[in-house]
Amino acid sequence: MKLSSLISQDCSKAAVLFNSKKRILEYISELAHSQLPDSNAHDILDSLLSREKLGSTGIGKGIALPHGRLPGIDKVVAMLLVNQQGIAFDAIDNQPVDIFVALIVPEGENQQHLQTLATIADKLKNKVFCKRIRQAHDDQELFSIIEEFDN
Amino acid sequence: MTQRFEDTFLIQNKLGLHARAASVLAELSAQFDANIMLFQGDKAAEGDSVLALLLLESSQGKEVKVVCEGPDAEQALSAIGNLIDDKFNESE
Repeated sequence: MKLSSLISQDCSKAAVLFNSKKRILEYISELAHSQLPDSNAHDILDSLLSREKLGSTGIGKGIALPHGRLPGIDKVVAMLLVNQQGIAFDAIDNQPVDIFVALIVPEGENQQHLQTLATIADKLKNKVFCKRIRQAHDDQELFSIIEEFDN
Repeated sequence: MTQRFEDTFLIQNKLGLHARAASVLAELSAQFDANIMLFQGDKAAEGDSVLALLLLESSQGKEVKVVCEGPDAEQALSAIGNLIDDKFNESE
């Protein structure tokens, strides 16, 4: 699966500036809500926060995968955000996080979800990809890097 | 002398090796000095890398081979095996 088919240009946000875990999760839920107009932004935020309570989605090396399951939706909404500075995120390596790949996923569909995670992991494991997206100046450049690494 | 232990485990939890399960496994792996590798089919992952573990795409019913090498390899294999057998502490 291509990452550019998962993350649209509307959901690629370069050089954003948030200073806390709560703030960036709020922004992610608003962004997801703009893609899922029939849903409720509060429900989206709740699903992200309740997942974080089970254990941080900060997986190390400055990367977090905040995600939540939402009933009644039929597609995955995936977002890539690069923050200008690292945010304290309780990551497993205790390092601050500046790369966020956020997912709002339908309930069930476990196999599909594992495939989605693998597609994302495949890119994030590439140090050059992470370096390039950290340097992206605007959303368009960020999305073009995603497309470039898909090919 | 480097000790090497390996065994095969069945992924039993409903969600498979998803992000939370992979994070718990990576945190556990990091506690050991032993080098820990997981294998599924032709794919291999370092036990302490969440991204590598997610690339295995291990779903419920898949078998993974765990190989531990190092001074505490036996304890590492036992701890990782227990975690997988306990469904990563998930209820289903």
